[in-house]
Order: sequence, then structure tokens, then C-alpha cells
Amino acid sequence: MTEMSVCASPSAGIDALCRRLAEFLRRAGRPVAFMEVCGTHTVAIFRSGLRSQLPEGLRILSGPGCPVCVTDPSEIDMALSLAKRDCILLTYGDMLRVPGSSGSLLDLKGGGARVRTVTSALQSLEVARNNPTSEVVFLGVGFETTAPATAITLRQALRHGLANFSVLCLHKTVPPVMRALCSNPALKIDGFILPGNVTVITGLGDYAFLTDELHRAAAVAGFEPEEILASIVDLARQVAENDFRLSSWRLRDVPEGGNPTARRVLSEVFQPCDALWRGLGLIADSGCRMATPYERFDAAKKFGLDPPTAGPDNGCRCGEVLSGLKTPPECELYGTACTPVTPIGPCMVSGEGTCGAWYRYR
Amino acid sequence: MNGESTGSVTSGHGSGGRLTQQLTRSILAHFEMAGFETPDKISKFEMEDCAFIGDDAGASDMAVTMDGFTVSPHDFPGGNIGKLAVCGVANDLAVRGVEPLYLTLSLIIEEGLDFAVLDRYMKSSAHTAREGGMRLIAGDTKVVPHGMADKIFIAACAMGKRASRQVLGTGNLREGDILILSTSPGRHGAALAAARFDLDAPGLVSDCALLWPTLKPLLRFDGLRCMRDCTRGGLGTVLCEWAEAASVGVEIAETSIPVSVETNSICDILGFDPLYLASEGCALVAVAPEQAKDCLSLLRQNPISGDAAIIGRVVPDHPRMVGMRTRIGGLRYVDMPVGEILPRIC
Repeated sequence: MTEMSVCASPSAGIDALCRRLAEFLRRAGRPVAFMEVCGTHTVAIFRSGLRSQLPEGLRILSGPGCPVCVTDPSEIDMALSLAKRDCILLTYGDMLRVPGSSGSLLDLKGGGARVRTVTSALQSLEVARNNPTSEVVFLGVGFETTAPATAITLRQALRHGLANFSVLCLHKTVPPVMRALCSNPALKIDGFILPGNVTVITGLGDYAFLTDELHRAAAVAGFEPEEILASIVDLARQVAENDFRLSSWRLRDVPEGGNPTARRVLSEVFQPCDALWRGLGLIADSGCRMATPYERFDAAKKFGLDPPTAGPDNGCRCGEVLSGLKTPPECELYGTACTPVTPIGPCMVSGEGTCGAWYRYR
Repeated sequence: MNGESTGSVTSGHGSGGRLTQQLTRSILAHFEMAGFETPDKISKFEMEDCAFIGDDAGASDMAVTMDGFTVSPHDFPGGNIGKLAVCGVANDLAVRGVEPLYLTLSLIIEEGLDFAVLDRYMKSSAHTAREGGMRLIAGDTKVVPHGMADKIFIAACAMGKRASRQVLGTGNLREGDILILSTSPGRHGAALAAARFDLDAPGLVSDCALLWPTLKPLLRFDGLRCMRDCTRGGLGTVLCEWAEAASVGVEIAETSIPVSVETNSICDILGFDPLYLASEGCALVAVAPEQAKDCLSLLRQNPISGDAAIIGRVVPDHPRMVGMRTRIGGLRYVDMPVGEILPRIC
């Protein structure tokens, strides 16, 4: 059974929280490592200066939480091939610069391809209606936070019978990849900082396996530094007291069952399928496939695209960085061949990528 | 892919920050190799907002600057491309202590643009020029076929006369100098982002404004070092450029930067950092510590800089780098942005 202890206001002050953290770490009696699995947490921890405040004996690692970073190059290639076919390709801005095996969507856009940025999946319906003679494809990327918007868009596309609209569905789900990470004996992670915005959709239940089954510490955090630090303090407490209970440190409440409407539309439109994660390989049931009535909107089928396949190693250590086995400076390319100006992997490109955050905020 | 002198020009090269710096350097390199020198007799081109016109005898008091304007959307809360063009060039003079006097405009107009729209933009330009005491002395028009331009592009040039006793520039920066920001940063960029991404942002208005009336009173301070308007690339880029140009360390305090609630909201939604959003009426001012308080009070007397604030100082630590003391007391570095600022996924 999962117990929740919602912190109404972690206002005890950063210094006080740091002192409590140091005390729990002392009681743990060994160095501990926690992992966050959300790009927004990665950036928030750097941008707020929290990293510089943390006591000795604690490592904070970044997991596969940046949707751009976990997209495999072969998936980017699928998007590139659609843009080359004169489709109107609609994407969230973050994906533009991510390199496929040859170039990025931004490169194709510069060459005249019809690649446009949207901030919501629903905008693509309007584009499809306004361009009836063009094929309009929405690039569905992201975790449980963006998948519901894609699902609602697909439902409306079905209702209105939009024949020129389809979705290249690259959505991924977080719990399966965390289970996969935990099964790697080389990875020594004592606890996980879980993203508040994902659990608002999924509820906490999907993560109970971390504490109840795998005996790892787990805590949900919002994106304010106080919320993140409060979750880290509780993770250290769970380790020190050998008392693993999923907790929530978010000023805005996380309903235990998540968002029932979003969950309903997700289960109606998508079915779990295996998905390829950049550097991590194929992970069972970690992707989203369109359910039968929506298959006609599957861009991969509609345009006969090759399914994603893991490509050759280009020296980029994204996989190890995304699994917390390496920190970005431990990659041979980091800061030399791979910088924000000459990025080799998406972890350096994305605004929320681990390598980019390490490089920018140092 | 985005490397130096390989591949092609991308939209990122036009976004301020690191790639724009590369683009500019690649252009200037040809002139340096051809043996050109700036009138300031500095071996390399000065990367300042305007240049003093001079001959071998030394720089004169006349200064010139030019800029191109391709804003999208053309009309935004607080202005339009016509007003922006005049403010943009006039401010590039003002921040070097130069009174803007003359203006030239070159319009590249897309076939099909309504005269009513053109009139509206030119009315704004004329109104702003009159308000700023500038005379239009030359200009040009070109009309290009439909699809070859986005309604209208404006290239503007401004000339003026130095009113400051000392020549203001980043070379004057020294340890201990205080950095004052004239107003809340990033409101122009935030207003444009809101319009581009169809976000309803009541109360969010571009800060587009003439800076000369605000900055002129500061010229009485002999401890005034340099000033810069935080346009493309935002405050963060200006701070990095100063630290690099003067080989000094810069430290700022996050809580002292007066970012507006509206700008913060847009940044939260799109995943932007307000430090990198453009302003068109916000200047960073560096002044000797003993004159900082008076300088700040003078700024606050003017309505467009009523919220001016001391945001940081020049420090002996981490030369060429900008450190930021965060709200929670941490320290992190501020780097120049690379490429176009893109909204995040979630």
C-alpha cells in the first residue's frame, strides 16, 4: 500500500532543509545517489543553483526524462523523411534541432521544407483543415504529459474524418523505463525524484512498484527548488530509516488516481507497445501505439515508413548518461567535440538535456 | 552541423548569442584580412553598438550605427516594426552617450502590401523620430515580388553627436563597478512570443521605447563606464559579452532582476529563460560604485525606468564569466544562448 504525505508548504528554508538532508545522509552512513527522471527537474536543479547547495555524500543523476533526448535517431529519420516528402510537419519546438542520421528538421526547414512549430497538438487540426490538399503530420513526442493532448487531437480527427491528417506517434511512458533501469545491476540508484506534472496525469499508483516491490526510495516533486529539495530530504530519510514510502512534495496536490479524464482518453486511443529509447534500446510496453479505430491516422503506416532500429555507435555516450551510469563530463566528446554549438547528441541540443544543462550552468 | 564556416546559415545565426557572434566574426574577418581598421584605431573591430567616425587624427564625436528589422508579427502590443526600427537604431547611439540626430531608412516592401499598412508603420516611424529629435535625411525603397519578403523589411541608420565627456565602452569596465538595469527585462521578447504562440497575455506590452531621454541625465557621472541596450539575446547575452570583452568577472543576483510577472508567466509556459528574451527599451548601465546610488535615483525619476535596479557588479572572481547568485542562495553560471530559443515540449 502506498502512503502519501503531502507537504503543504516546504517553507522551512533552504538552509534548514540542507541541514536535515546532511543529518539523514550521515545516518545513512554511505554515499547515496538519487536520480531525477524529468528534463524540467534537470534544468530546475541547475538553474536554481540547488546543485551548489547540496551537501557532500550525495549524487544527483539525471535519468531518461527529457523527451527530446530519449528519441532515437532512427525516429528522427522517420520525421525527416516525412518532411522531405512535402508533408506539412508540425512539431514542438524542442525537436527542431535534434540530429537524425543526416541533419535535423531545422536543417530541412532552412532548405524550404514545410516544418512548422506548434505549442499544442490541437493546433494541427486547424492546419489540416486550412490545407486540405496537403498531408499534415503531427510529430507526437513526449511522455504522459503530452500524450493526452495527442490522444484528444486524434479523437477529434476521427470525429471530423480528417483524411489529410496523421500522427507520427513517438510517445513514451515513464514507468517501464524506470523498471528497466532498476533491473540493471550496474546502476546504483538509491532513490528517484518523480516529476509532479507526470503524476498529475498518471496518479501515484503507477510508481508504487519502486518502493513496495523494488525497495527504492521515491518521492514526487514540483519544480520549485524548495519542492525538489524537500523531496531529496525525504529520499534520504527513506534510505536512512530503511522505510520506503512514496511521498509527494508538491505544493499543488497530486490526486492519487491522477487525472481520470486524461487516463480514459489515453487508454481509449493508445495501446502499449515496445519502444526504442535512444541509447537504452528496445523497452517492452514503453511506447504508445494507436488503437484500432485510430490506426488510419498512423503516419508510419500511412506513408510506409521503416520502423525505428538502433543505429551504429557514433561515440556519443547518451545511453550511459541517460541511465545515470556516466555524468556528461565523463563522456569523451563532452565539451570538446560536443558542445551546444556543435552538438552530437540530443542531450546537448535540448533545452532540457542533461549534457546541455551541465555545459550551460556548470 | 551548426559549426563555424561549414554548412549554411540557420535561423539560429540570427538569434543573438553564440551563433550570431560567429556569423559576425566570419564577416568581419574578411575586412580585417583586407587591412581595414576601425576609426578608433583598435586593431580589431570594436564590438559595440555604434562606431565613432574618424580619421587617422583620431575618432571624432560623430557616431553612426545601422540595423535591420524583420519582426514577426509586425504589429505587437506596445508598437510595430516602424516604431521598432527608429527606437532600435536611436538606442544603439544613446547607450554610447551619443545624441541621435539623423536617420535614414531603407524599405524592402513585398508586392501586395496594403498602403494603409505601410502608412501605419511609417506614421509610427515618423512619430518616434520626431519624439526623439531625429531628422530623416536619406532613404530608399525597393519592391520585391510577392513571397520574396515578409510584408516589409526595414534597414535603418542613425547618426548623432557624442554628448558624454568620456567615450563609453566595455574597455572602461573595472573591478567593483556596479551594474544597473534600467527596467524590467525581456518584455519585448515575451510579448512577441505570446503573439507568435497564440498565448493570451493581458498586461504584457513590449518595452519598445527611446532610451535617450532616460540615459542622457546619466552622462553627468564621470564614473559612467558603459551602457548597452539588451536587445537580441537579452540581458544574459549582454552580460556575457561584457565579461568576455573586458576580461572581467560579473556577478548578478537573481532576486534583484525586476522580471515582470507577465514575462515570468510566458517563460514558465514556453520553457524560456527571461535572461535571454529581447528588450527594446531596457539598458544595462555600468557605473563606479560611489556614483551608483545617485545614478539609480536619476533613472528612477523617469517613468520608463521607474523600476530600475542594481542587479550586480564586476568582480575579481571567474574572469570572462557571469555568475548568478540564485534566489535560494546557490551560484550558477550564465552562458550565452546558442541558436534560436525554442519552446520546450512539456
